[in-house]
Amino acid sequence: MIFVIAEHRDNRLKPITSELLAFAQRVGRDFSQPITAVVLGSDTAALVDELKAKKIDRVIAGEHQQFAEYMPDPYVQALKGIIEKEKAFLVLIGHTTQGMDFAPRLAVALRRPLIAGCVEYEKEGDRLILTRQIFNAKMNMKTMPRGEPPYVATASPGAFPADEVESGGNAQVVRLPVELQTTSQRKVLERVEAPKGQADLSSAPIIISGGRGLKEKQNFQLIFELAEAIGGSVGASRPVVDAEWLPREYQIGSSGQTVSPKLYFAIGISGAIQHLVGMQTSRCIVAINKDPEAPIFKVAHYGIVEDLFKVVPALTKIFKDLKQA
Amino acid sequence: MKIISCIKPVPDPASRLSINENKTWIKDQDLTFVASEADNYALEEALRLKEKHGGEVVVLSVGGEEAARVLRSGLAMGADRAIHLLDPKFKGSDEFTTAAALAKAIEKDGGADLILAGVQSDDLGTGMTGTMIAAFLGCGHATVVVGVEANPDGRSLKVRRELEGGINETVELPMPATLTIQFGINQPRYASLKGIMAAKKKEFKVWSAADLGLEDRQIGRVGAMYEVKEILLPERKSKVEMISGTPEEAAATLVEKLRKEAKVL
Ligand SMILES: Cc1cc2nc3c(=O)[nH]c(=O)nc-3n(C[C@H](O)[C@H](O)[C@H](O)COP(=O)(O)OP(=O)(O)OC[C@H]3O[C@@H](n4cnc5c(N)ncnc54)[C@H](O)[C@@H]3O)c2cc1C
Ligand SMILES: Nc1ncnc2c1ncn2[C@@H]1O[C@H](COP(=O)(O)O)[C@@H](O)[C@H]1O
Repeated sequence: MIFVIAEHRDNRLKPITSELLAFAQRVGRDFSQPITAVVLGSDTAALVDELKAKKIDRVIAGEHQQFAEYMPDPYVQALKGIIEKEKAFLVLIGHTTQGMDFAPRLAVALRRPLIAGCVEYEKEGDRLILTRQIFNAKMNMKTMPRGEPPYVATASPGAFPADEVESGGNAQVVRLPVELQTTSQRKVLERVEAPKGQADLSSAPIIISGGRGLKEKQNFQLIFELAEAIGGSVGASRPVVDAEWLPREYQIGSSGQTVSPKLYFAIGISGAIQHLVGMQTSRCIVAINKDPEAPIFKVAHYGIVEDLFKVVPALTKIFKDLKQA
Repeated sequence: MKIISCIKPVPDPASRLSINENKTWIKDQDLTFVASEADNYALEEALRLKEKHGGEVVVLSVGGEEAARVLRSGLAMGADRAIHLLDPKFKGSDEFTTAAALAKAIEKDGGADLILAGVQSDDLGTGMTGTMIAAFLGCGHATVVVGVEANPDGRSLKVRRELEGGINETVELPMPATLTIQFGINQPRYASLKGIMAAKKKEFKVWSAADLGLEDRQIGRVGAMYEVKEILLPERKSKVEMISGTPEEAAATLVEKLRKEAKVL
């Protein structure tokens, strides 16, 4: 059995859930394993409907008042109970801020292997090989979980395309009474959305983003100059914002804005998965990076391997000249 | 408040990394090691909490001589003492066995009110170790933390977690607790010359696996939950068109292509 732990918010499945289902369907075919989606919530009716439309074998809905908000302890308690009752093969969880929060506790509770941040998998003989990124996506590591299943794995958002998920199933729906031994010690007090501020990039047609490769705050002027010459908006990777070169609202990626402009420049940005998920649907991506192995080139349409301090001023000059002409 | 701040030694980000002969890890003989970046944020947060509430900050690391180096930098930054888990048997640890050893050391040191780890390391980068420590200790935890505040009762915390898409969630949890600290929570300080001098006189404990009462099957490569099959460079199944030439030529070619080929300008 492959268990997919559904992630949801505001009574809707999150996109990662479809990605996990797509992942599960591939593994299910290769290893002849049925698939169960598990959804925990206080009212799961709508979520169950969404899940059972997919080509899977079963949906387990665990309802409890304590699941009105996600909390790690009740999740781990309930999931451990569900998984240990069956001959589980694989437990798939999103490598999201929620999945990262409970997957490690679940793996320790089960005393089973956890392979976190998977981007690919393969079958070799009858063994499951899970690939993840290491050294900030510079290298891949193929791992083999040891011992008997089940194995727990978290999947990187964006790694398993959600549109590959097959629908048209005939899933059995099981409503499971959940008993929790304890109440969660951790409580949610509030949840707030960061103000959009001045840099709402969601509809910007051209975005020039700079990363840590710019080295210092003053150098970011190069990005502003290029943006001005092209007539584009400025964006940034996370370290730029962490170092306070720019306010948080400029950040693009999983914990910042998601953008999809017609033209995106990634300058001095390595292309970590958390950045890619925020910009990889851009129509045309240009990467400028001195490292030919930088993962950003995997999603780019045009690439220049060169010192940005040489190329960017040259580009700015061309656009300035074009404007004057 | 007693705070334990975990530090993982990783190759200096400026190093050129290459894969070893067996393709099981990188060639790490001649590299310089530094603290994994998120751990600097964690230690800074620990020092600020101590400055506000009193107590002590202990830095803790598992690793070879490179771990001693990052621990000394932690002492120079202002930590009060260091614990180095040093044993050839720890080699080849995964997140599971690392967390088990760290948790044992924390227990041996008498526990802590707060344990801080990085949100994810710069090498394995899975962000699992911190929460696994909490699981082994049986204490509460919170991940991807961008703000920490001790409640006036002295027994609980309010922490802000950063979720996807710029949403922040404030949760309350009792101490002891383990937090994984997100990049950018603060601006880490640099060690001062005075700090570097003072670090030399601070307590520095070294514990082996036997000191922790850990058996061979629980640690290092033997205890690890997964095997590394192969390390490789990612395939580039991309459609990228690389543009060459001098910087000026490349810039000109790019602009030409953006206008005529991609038609986005
Ligand atoms: C929970 C979580 C959420 C995250 N959310 C986000 C997010 O929303 N957005 C985000 O961006 N990141 C996010 N991150 C961080 C992410 O993992 C990466 O650390 C980050 O994206 C790296 O930024 P970077 O590419 O600018 O820096 P680096 O990875 O340091 O890359 C710098 C690049 O610049 C190149 N370079 C250096 N000098 C030059 C030069 N002179 N000329 C040309 N190139 C040069 C280098 O070759 C390198 O590729 C998140 C991480 C976590 C754990
Ligand atoms: N060998 C280690 N020694 C001390 N702390 C560690 C070690 N490995 C991981 N950690 C801590 O766990 C965090 C997350 O690491 P990881 O799970 O590898 O992404 C790191 O930032 C450290 O704070």
